[in-house]
Amino acid sequence: MVPLNYLDAGSGSMLLQIVLGGVAAIGVTAKLTWRRFLRTLRIRRDDDET
Amino acid sequence: MYSSDGEVLRELSLRGQEDWDALESARFFRRALEDGRIVATEEVEPGVLRHERLPFVSYPYEWPFEMLREAALLQLELLDEALSEGFVLKDGSPYNVQWRGSEPVFVDVGSFERLREGEPWAGYRQFCALFLYPLMLQAYRGVAPQPFLRGSLEGIEPSQARALLPRFRRGVLTHVVLHDRLEAKHAARERDVRSELKAAGFKKELIQANVRRLRKLVQRLSPNGRSEWAGYREAAPYTDEDAERKERFVRAAGASRLAWDLGANDGRFSRALEAEYVVAVDGDERVVGELYRALRAEGSKTILPLVVDLADSSPARGWRGVERRRLEERGRPDLVLCLALVHHLAIGRNVPFAELVGWLRSLGARLVIEFADRDDPMVRRLLAAKRAEVHESYGRDEFERALREGFQIARSEELGSGTRTLYLANPRL
Repeated sequence: MVPLNYLDAGSGSMLLQIVLGGVAAIGVTAKLTWRRFLRTLRIRRDDDET
Repeated sequence: MYSSDGEVLRELSLRGQEDWDALESARFFRRALEDGRIVATEEVEPGVLRHERLPFVSYPYEWPFEMLREAALLQLELLDEALSEGFVLKDGSPYNVQWRGSEPVFVDVGSFERLREGEPWAGYRQFCALFLYPLMLQAYRGVAPQPFLRGSLEGIEPSQARALLPRFRRGVLTHVVLHDRLEAKHAARERDVRSELKAAGFKKELIQANVRRLRKLVQRLSPNGRSEWAGYREAAPYTDEDAERKERFVRAAGASRLAWDLGANDGRFSRALEAEYVVAVDGDERVVGELYRALRAEGSKTILPLVVDLADSSPARGWRGVERRRLEERGRPDLVLCLALVHHLAIGRNVPFAELVGWLRSLGARLVIEFADRDDPMVRRLLAAKRAEVHESYGRDEFERALREGFQIARSEELGSGTRTLYLANPRL
């Protein structure tokens, strides 16, 4: 069992941390957006890991 | 965490033990232990840590702006160093910080854990709610955040901060407005953002960039707000000679282990005490902020300045009222200074002499107390704001009668001004 963290970070707060990541975040943002786009077109399922 | 025979001990879970084993050998951790930024910690037996006992526990709602900012910077500095070596903090809470006088000490060693690849900083939201928004509120709006922090142990929510803070000040659009929007947008969605971020390649450099920007932002915030009592000593009706006599009287009270200086103002008499540790309390946030700044510059490790309104002091808080304790339950003083305070409580806050003496008696400590009579300029000023008949019984005889109910007066001295008297008193057994 994975022990509980002290905190639930909150989805909005987690996503904001990409915005706040500055230059380092560009690649991550692009990948996240692309994956969401594919999912919208139903090319990728929600539980696809890779 | 528990306390046993005066020792502060922490029992580790299985995962906690693994994190501790890794942490113990991390360079940043050893460095921070050595320079005192992290509380002294040793493993006394497998799975049990013993921590250094700090002289007096205090809470963020008792800290002035400068202390909250200092605690925030310590937290961010340690997080930045930890990230470089593959660790992260589980949270972002000011309750993880305590004080050695004016020096902040990170006390929650259990907050460090090994960074899991692809995960963001779980404590970011908490950092905003308990550090960043309260600091912004005072810096950008001139509103002291202590009542908010005391009102909710969770701090100020992003939605509340958005309603309270001006939009176009540094850091507000991202850490407040966007934060609230994203939170509102994602609150109703059942999407596993954590896995999404991991799959998109979220990495620790993003946390580090955020932490460094936060450090810059917090460093630039400065306190804003009015004070009623800053500069009081200059404006007060004391002559230098009276102040020196007071100082001599305080010194003659002798040595103590833990002293409380109630109504400490600029801390002159806290410094005059021969005490191992002094808790210097004042109700005016700006006055305590100034005192902290001076003590920090002096490198003081024996005087802890706190913002406490004695007519409404820190209550028991949290789950069943046992998570955060009342001021009186965190260590009993053996000497109490109560200088230039009685008239403010008795007239300004309508606390009867008997009540005030009763409370002081309950502390069980020797007492140095000052009484200002009706002819004193400050008392006249306070009385002028009241209806004439309300404080008719305010006088030295009435005060002494009340004081004798709880204490034996060992010594008294009238100051040169003729309107003020000092008493050294021992609690009646």
